[in-house]
Parts: sequence; C-alpha cells; structure tokens
Amino acid sequence: MNLRLHPRPGQSLADQLFHAGVEFPCGGESACGSCRIRVVSGEAPITEAMRAALTSKELEEGWRLACCADASGPVTVEVEQWSMRVLTDEASVPIEPRSGWGAVADLGTTTLVAQLVDLSSGEVLGLETAVNAQARFGSDVMTRVQYELKHPGDLRVAIRAQLGAMLHRLAAGRALEEILIVGNTAMHHLFCGLSVEPLTAVPFLPAEIGAMRFAAGDLAWPGPACFLPCLGGFVGSDLLAGIVATHLDRHGEPRILFDIGTNGEIVVGCQGGIRCASTAAGPAFEGGRISVGMRAGDGAIDGVHVQDGSLACHVLGGATARGVCGSGLVDAAAAGLQLGLVLANGRLTSSGKTLPLSDGVALTQADIRELQLAKGAMAAGLKMLGDGVGGLSLAGAFGNYIRAASARAIGLLPEDVIVEPAGNTALRGARMLLLEPSQREDRLDAITAMTEHVELAADPQFQDIYAESMSLRPFRLR
Amino acid sequence: MPDLQKLYDAVLSGDRNTAVAVTQEAIATGGDPLELISKYMVPAMDEVGRLFECEEYFVPELLLSARAMKGSLELLRPLLAARGAQPVGRVVIGTVKGDLHDIGKNLVASLLEGGGFEVIDFGADVAPEKFIAAVQEKGANIVALSALLTVTMPAMRTTIDALKQAGVRERIKVMVGGAPVTEQFAAEIGADGYSDNASAAVTLARRLTATAVRP
Repeated sequence: MNLRLHPRPGQSLADQLFHAGVEFPCGGESACGSCRIRVVSGEAPITEAMRAALTSKELEEGWRLACCADASGPVTVEVEQWSMRVLTDEASVPIEPRSGWGAVADLGTTTLVAQLVDLSSGEVLGLETAVNAQARFGSDVMTRVQYELKHPGDLRVAIRAQLGAMLHRLAAGRALEEILIVGNTAMHHLFCGLSVEPLTAVPFLPAEIGAMRFAAGDLAWPGPACFLPCLGGFVGSDLLAGIVATHLDRHGEPRILFDIGTNGEIVVGCQGGIRCASTAAGPAFEGGRISVGMRAGDGAIDGVHVQDGSLACHVLGGATARGVCGSGLVDAAAAGLQLGLVLANGRLTSSGKTLPLSDGVALTQADIRELQLAKGAMAAGLKMLGDGVGGLSLAGAFGNYIRAASARAIGLLPEDVIVEPAGNTALRGARMLLLEPSQREDRLDAITAMTEHVELAADPQFQDIYAESMSLRPFRLR
Repeated sequence: MPDLQKLYDAVLSGDRNTAVAVTQEAIATGGDPLELISKYMVPAMDEVGRLFECEEYFVPELLLSARAMKGSLELLRPLLAARGAQPVGRVVIGTVKGDLHDIGKNLVASLLEGGGFEVIDFGADVAPEKFIAAVQEKGANIVALSALLTVTMPAMRTTIDALKQAGVRERIKVMVGGAPVTEQFAAEIGADGYSDNASAAVTLARRLTATAVRP
C-alpha cells in the first residue's frame, strides 16, 4: 500500500509516517529495521542510521527507515508493514533425491514467493517474498495487460529483474539445477514476452499456453528456468500446481480447488476429468473498491464477531483500526446479518446506511454492494461447476485467513461442503514437480489434457445465477 | 377493469406473475395499452431506477422488476403495433466486440424499455457492422454501447468510427457506459452522452431523443 505525503512545516517525514500509522517497533532508535519504507517517487535522503540498518542494495532500491526519514519535497512511499501477508509452504512432499539445488517461484499478480530447495533432501533452505514490481503499473491483470499494450516489454523487464534478484539472493553464488515458475496466464505471458493481444478480448484464448523454457544465460539467473503451462483462459500454472498439490486429478470423487483473489479461480474435478474457470470477482477481497478497504496489515480489521448483541472487532497488530481487509469484510457482513444490521438483499438497515465497526471505521452501503458483486461472481461459478462435489480446498492467502462460518453465512462458500484451507498450493505443487522430475512431464501432460477451460459468462444461465448469487444467503451444492 | 395500481406495485416489487395477470385482465376488459404503459409501468420503472440510484435496490431487484415489466410488455406490444403507435425512440444496444459482460447493459436495456423506448438488444460481443445494420435497416436513432473492461473500451471508438465510415453517424446519437468508462473518455471518442448508472441512462436517452431525428 502506497502513501503520498507532502512536506509540512515543523513535521519531519518520520512524524507524518508515524501519524499515518507506521509503527516504530524499537521506539525510533533506528535499531530494528522493522519500519522499512520504500520511496516510490520523490527523494528521502539516506542517513547514517539507515546505512547501518540496510544494505547498500536495499538503499539503492529506495528502502529507508521510516523512524528517521525526512524529505524536503512530496514523496510517495510503500510501507512494508502494510504489505500483504504472504503465504509460504513447507509441507513435506515426495522426493526423488538428486544432487544440487533448485528453486520454485509463485509469480502472483500481487505477491512473489520464491523458495530455494535442496534437491537431495527436499528441504526448503530459503525464502524470499516481495510485492510484484509490476504492481505500480496497475493492481489487476487487465490493467497490466493494457499497460503492456502501451509500453511493450517494460513489465517483462521489471519482473525478470525482480525475480532474478530474489533468486540470486537465495542461491548466494550456487548454481541451481532448475527453477520452476508458476503463475496465472497474464503473468505467464508478461514474463515470457508473449503477445497479450489475445487476452484483451473474448474468447480470451492465450497465444501460447505451453511450458516456456529459458537458459540461465538468457535471463542472467542462477539456473535454467521453466514457466509451467497454463490451463486455459486466465487460469494458469498456479492452479495447475494446485491440482498437483491437492491430488485433484487422482481423486475418485469430484472436489473443488478454489483460489479467492482478484480473479476467483475455480477448478473442479477428479480422475475422470477437470473443468476450470475464472470469475471476474474484482479486488474487493483485497481491499480494492471498498471505501475503508486495505490489505491485511497492521491496523486492518481482520475479524468481526457478535458479542453481547453488538459487533466486536479484531485489529491486526493490536493498533487503532485504519480499515478493513478481506476476512474482516466477510466477517462484518456475516455478523451484520446476524444482528439484522444487514438484510439478505444487502441493504443496511441503519438510518445513516453505514455499518460502524471500530474506531470510526465503517462500511457503507456501496461497500456491501461491492462485496455482493464479488462474492456473487464466485458463488455463481461454484454453483455452475461444483454440483455434487465431495469437498472444497481453499487455496491462497485469503483462503487461509477467511472464517468458513462467515463465508458460508453470506453465501460465498457452500454450506454443505467440507472446506479445507489448503495453504499455498501453487508453491507446494511447484515444489512437488521440482522434486519428482521423472514424473513431471507425464503428470503435466495428463493434467493439461484432462482439463477443460469454461467461459462462465458465455453460458446463457450465467446472468440469472449471478444475480441470484448476489444475495447474502447460504447456498448448497449437494 | 382490474385495479391497475397492482400493476405498478407488481413491477416495483418484481412480481412477474401478478404483472402478467393484471395486464391480461386489463386487456380483456378493454384497457388502453398506452395508458397501462405510460401511467403505471413507466412510473414504476422510474421509481425502480430512483431506488437503485439511492442504493435501496441492487442488481437482483432491478432484474426482477425488469422481468415483471417485460412479461407485461410482451402482451401489450402486439396491441400497440396493431395501432401503429410510435415509441419514444428506437435504441440499438449492445456490449462492444470482445466483451462478454452483459448484466449492466441488460439493466440499461430494461430501464429504457420501461421508459417507453423500443429497444433492439444485440447482447454481448457485438461487431460494429451489426450496429450499422440496425441503424440502416431498423431505423434506430440511438446507439448505446457498453464495455466493462479497460481493454475493450477502445472497441467503443472503433464502433463510432465505423458508424462514421458507413455515413450514418449524423443520423443518430451515441451513448456509452460501463464501469471503466468516464465522461472524459466518452468525449474523447466522440460519443454524444455518457451515464454512470442505468437509471441516469434513461434520462440521457430522453434528452438525446429530444434533439435526434424521429424514427
């Protein structure tokens, strides 16, 4: 999350950042380095304290310490404390031991996660996370695609450099046997330098959805890389890896793999066949288009429950509430329904048409409408593809933090299907594919061959199901 | 003659069955179709639009009201046609080529119909040629374009350019809308009007019709 600040007489940049809610965990002694900010535009001079706490590379990248920052002109900064919780994965997975090191990277629209893996033991030796450097050119996939059309190649350069730097830090001079990358179709195209033109209009048929290989020298990376194949439409190798991680292709009974993000991606199937779709849910669950929306960082209301007949909020970091993140939004709507402050059709019943939560943070009627649009699109997709499924694996960061009871109460998740938070299945699946090289090609070929991509909006019934799914009522799939 | 206030209430509450039943009864007892539309249905849909604008109603309520109104209109339209009655205006509407998003456009189409316009709805992913044909062959005097993606917005410009190329641009008014579309963008691509919600689109269409050539 970025913050724009203008110089004010008598107030240092540090003062302004503190008032904006940036915490100085060591009390502003410049000792802990936990109040890192990155200057996105403008100038904030480097101090001796910063030189001591940050590497020269970090300083060069624009990182500063908030607690001793100052500026003489307007600056825009990214506050690390407010960045999204990044979900990693260290589950133990099957391995064919071989010598050397490898890496996997989950190239998300919002966040990047890379792991260094010991190929002889399967152990995760190191982890790097970051906010996708492309994010400054637009938060969602469509804005990025449009940026690419206007400025061809800029995003490719940015992401290759950023991921490369992360991998070099992980490898620390070692040569890597191979690097597997997963990500959605837009991330795949932007990384690989493929034409994004086909992604700009229906039927959204990607130019090339196969695996793309790069020699170490081509990228100036510590090893050769392979961007795994996409499944179709906007559904990419992150979901393909998710299928591997959850063994969806090997189950007898159909299950759902559901990744809630800017695009709610839904994969449904079993050994008999798999269908996948993406729903244009919008960024509501990541705080976008919500008046008090924010990412899950310090100051975000991440949980709301009913206590003694009124709403009680949990605030991340124990700080004063500054906004609401996705899990808080879902909770707030569910708790509001329970107390009759929100009706099933989404209307707020209070005269002022707001849902006050905590410390002056309140949801508006328009916020509830955004939630209805976002959750309606996803619920419609689940209903259209998930009839009669035996279970649901919830992938991704949001899936890990959302309360299933609240999601069921507002009709985001089915009330009659067992929901299992599955963690970062994209990263785990990629690591599984890395560690079992002899099975990799066959497994990928089999999954891509058995998976059909469905364009939900092309179904004549979609509109009615979508509209019906906008109401805040529980639904069933069995 | 049935209590026609019930028709107003049925459209407002989205009760299609009642709307159809009251309309059938009204027709059977010699009710004036034009009066049913102008005195009950148009005000009901205007009220639906108002409730939508002040956030009382949302997409599902709007769709239900539109469905009730359509049920009634389907019965009345043949009677109007037989009499040679003229609509307020003839609108051809569609989501531009490359874009499948339908719902917002459907809401606008329904409210326009409820507002007394004849609406030719081509659905989604509509090529410029189809709009041109509608103007040339069906005498549409308003072309309404929708786009829900930043990447499909340029197709609005393409469509307007194609209307110019075909020599029909002067005969019609073009109105545009959709989540990423702005007033400024509308002006840039040479549209005659923009509205940011379905209800305001009806007001806009009425204003544009007042200055357009009658069908």
